[in-house]
Amino acid sequence: MHWLTSGGESAALEVVRDAFTARGGDWRDAPVPGGSAARSAAINRILGGKPPGVFLFSLGSQLDELAGEELVAPVPGDVAEWESALPPIIAKASRHDGRFVAAPMNIHGENWMFYNAAVLRNAGVEVPRTWPEFLAAAERLKAMGKIPIALGGQPWQERILFNAVLLGIGGRDFYTRIYGQLDREAMRSETMLEIFRTVAKLRDHVDEGSPGRRWNQATSMLMRGEAAFQFMGDWAKGDITAAGFQPGEEIGCAFAPAEELAYIMVVDAWAFTRSRDPAVDAGQRLFVEVAMDKQVQAELNRRKGSIPVRADIPVEGFDPCSRHAMEVIRDPATHLVSTGLFGLPGGVSGAIDDAISHFWNDRRLTPEEGQALFESTVLAFN
Amino acid sequence: MGHPNAPRWRLPRGAAPALALVPATAITFVCFYLFIGWTFAISLTGSRLLPSWDFVGLEQYRRLFASTRWWVAMENLVVYGGLFVGGCILLGYLLAILIDRGVRAEGVFRTVFMLPLSMSFIVTGIIWQWMLNPGLGIQQAVRGLGWEEFAFNWLVRADRSIYTVAIAGIWQQVGLSMALFLAGLRGIDPNIWKATRVDGIPTWRVYWDIITPMLRATFFTTTILLFSLAVKSFDLVVALTGGGPGFSSDLPARFVMEHILTRQELGLGAAGAFMMLCTIAAAVAPYLYLQIRQGRNA
Repeated sequence: MHWLTSGGESAALEVVRDAFTARGGDWRDAPVPGGSAARSAAINRILGGKPPGVFLFSLGSQLDELAGEELVAPVPGDVAEWESALPPIIAKASRHDGRFVAAPMNIHGENWMFYNAAVLRNAGVEVPRTWPEFLAAAERLKAMGKIPIALGGQPWQERILFNAVLLGIGGRDFYTRIYGQLDREAMRSETMLEIFRTVAKLRDHVDEGSPGRRWNQATSMLMRGEAAFQFMGDWAKGDITAAGFQPGEEIGCAFAPAEELAYIMVVDAWAFTRSRDPAVDAGQRLFVEVAMDKQVQAELNRRKGSIPVRADIPVEGFDPCSRHAMEVIRDPATHLVSTGLFGLPGGVSGAIDDAISHFWNDRRLTPEEGQALFESTVLAFN
Repeated sequence: MGHPNAPRWRLPRGAAPALALVPATAITFVCFYLFIGWTFAISLTGSRLLPSWDFVGLEQYRRLFASTRWWVAMENLVVYGGLFVGGCILLGYLLAILIDRGVRAEGVFRTVFMLPLSMSFIVTGIIWQWMLNPGLGIQQAVRGLGWEEFAFNWLVRADRSIYTVAIAGIWQQVGLSMALFLAGLRGIDPNIWKATRVDGIPTWRVYWDIITPMLRATFFTTTILLFSLAVKSFDLVVALTGGGPGFSSDLPARFVMEHILTRQELGLGAAGAFMMLCTIAAAVAPYLYLQIRQGRNA
C-alpha cells in the first residue's frame, strides 16, 4: 500500500517491485493517490481488520502512536547493521521503544533552491549565498520584469520557504531549538524577529497568483523562465528531468542561502503490520531485505530524485544535486529533519504551518505581530 | 381507560401512536444524542490518532481556546453567518416578491434562481475560485477590456477572503429562500390585496406593514435552515479558499474536520465540535423560546 503514483514515483517503485518478485515475493499493489489519503486508508484497513502486510508511511508522531497501540509490528528480520548504515537522526525517528518500527525508503531534502540559470545570467546576478544577497538579486530581477520567487501557495510550501530563511539566518542550532524543543526563548529572540523581517520582505517578490498554486505549477514557471527561483524539495527534480532539463544545468540547484551547511530531511518509510499468516511473515522479511538492498536503494533513489538512506552507497550515477547532497550529509552535523520528524504531535506541526501561512498571506501583520502569532499558535497546542 | 366491555388486551389509548414512534425515537436517540454524548466524552480525553479513554478534564478546551486559529474561525463564522443568512433572506425575499408580482415567463426565472441550488458546494466553490482568481477570472477579464488598474483580488487577500465565501454561499442558497418565500406569498389570502387596493395603500407599504409580518413563520423557518447551513459550512470553504490565505477564511467545521482527520487531534476536534453545538444552541434557543411562547399565547 503506497501513494507512489506519479511518473517518476512509480518508476522508482518498480525497482523495488521487480527485485521483490524476482526473489519470489508475492506483490499485491494497492496504490492510493495522495500521501495523507493513503495514510488514512492504511489506518482504516488496520482498524478494520484487513491490514496490508507492508505499507508506506511517513516517520513521525502518527507512526509512533500506531506503534504505541501495537498496530504496527517491529521491522522483521535482521536490522543490526542499520545502526551504522542510517543517519542517527533518522535511526532515532524510525524507532519506538528502542526497536525499529519502520524501514526508511529514501531521504528527500527540503531546503533546496532551484533557479533558472539563463534568467540569472541575463540579469547579471550570481547565485546568492546569503539572504541580503538574495533580496538584492530579487530587486534586480523584479526590475527586469521577472518574478523573483515562484511560490506555490499551500501552507506546506510556504513553510518550506520560511524554514529556508529560518535556517539561513538562525543556523542549525537555532532551527533545532525552534522545532525540536519548541523553545519559547528562541521564539521570542531578536534572531526570530530578524527572520520574520526577512520573510516579510520576500512577500513582495511573489506574484499575485500564488495562493492555492501547486508546487509543480511553480516549477514549470521556473522552467519557462517566468520566474527565477523556487524553494522546494528535491522531488521537483523529477518534474525538471521529465521536462527534458538536466538538473544542475539549465535549472540549477543550490542550498537555500545559509551560513551553515545543513540538510533538512523528509523521510518516507515502509511499515509492517502484525500477522499470524506465515506467508505474510516471510513476505515481510523478504521485503525488508529487498528494500534495504544497496543496489535497490541506489536505483530507486536515482529514479525518484532523492538520496539513499544508507550512507555506504557510492555517489556515481546520481545527478549533480544528489551527489552534492550525499557529500554534505557525510558530516552528521548537517543533519536536520523536517518539522513533523521531530516527533511533535500532529496538532503542533499543523499549527506551525498555520502560523507561517497566516503571517505570509496577511500582509497587515508586522514582523513583530508575526513573531507573536507564531509563538502563541504553536505553543497553544503543546 | 377504555370502555368497560372492551377486551382486556386492547392497548391503552394513545399507546399506538407512541409505539409507532418508537423506531424513530430510538434512531434519533442513538444517532443524535448518543453521538453527541460520545463526542463530548471524547473531548474530555487526551485522544490523538485513535480514541483513548485517559480523561484529562477540560484540557482540550484549554488548548482549543488558546488557539488563535480557532478564534479566527469563530469570528469568521459570525461574519459569514451574518452575511449569508441576511443576504439570502433579503435577496430571496426580494426575488420572491418580484416573481410574485407576476413577471412574464415566471417559470424561467424560477429555474434560473433555483439552478445553483442543484449544484454541490464543491462545484460552486470551484467555479467561484476560477471567477475570483486574479490571474484567470473577473479581474483579468476586466483588465482585458482595457481597465488596466482594475483590482478584484479578494480571494487572495487575507482581510477579504471570508467575504468571497459569503458571496458564493449566497449565490448558491438564495434560490432556497426564494422558494420558501414564494410559497409563503402564494399562501396569502388574495382578499387582503383587494382590501388594500380599496383603501389605496401603496404597494411597498402593504409588503412592509402587512405581508411581511404575516410571513413571520416563513422567516423563522428560513433563518433556522440557513443558520444551520452556515454553521456546518465546510465544503464551500474547502473548494473555494481551502481556509486560506493562511487561516483567514477558516470556519469551525473545517477546523474540526482537519484536526480530526489529518492532524490526529481527535480530542481537540471533538472539543471544537462540541463548541459548535453550543454555538447553535445559544443562537437558536432564544428564537425557539419566543416561538414556543407565542404559539401558546395564540
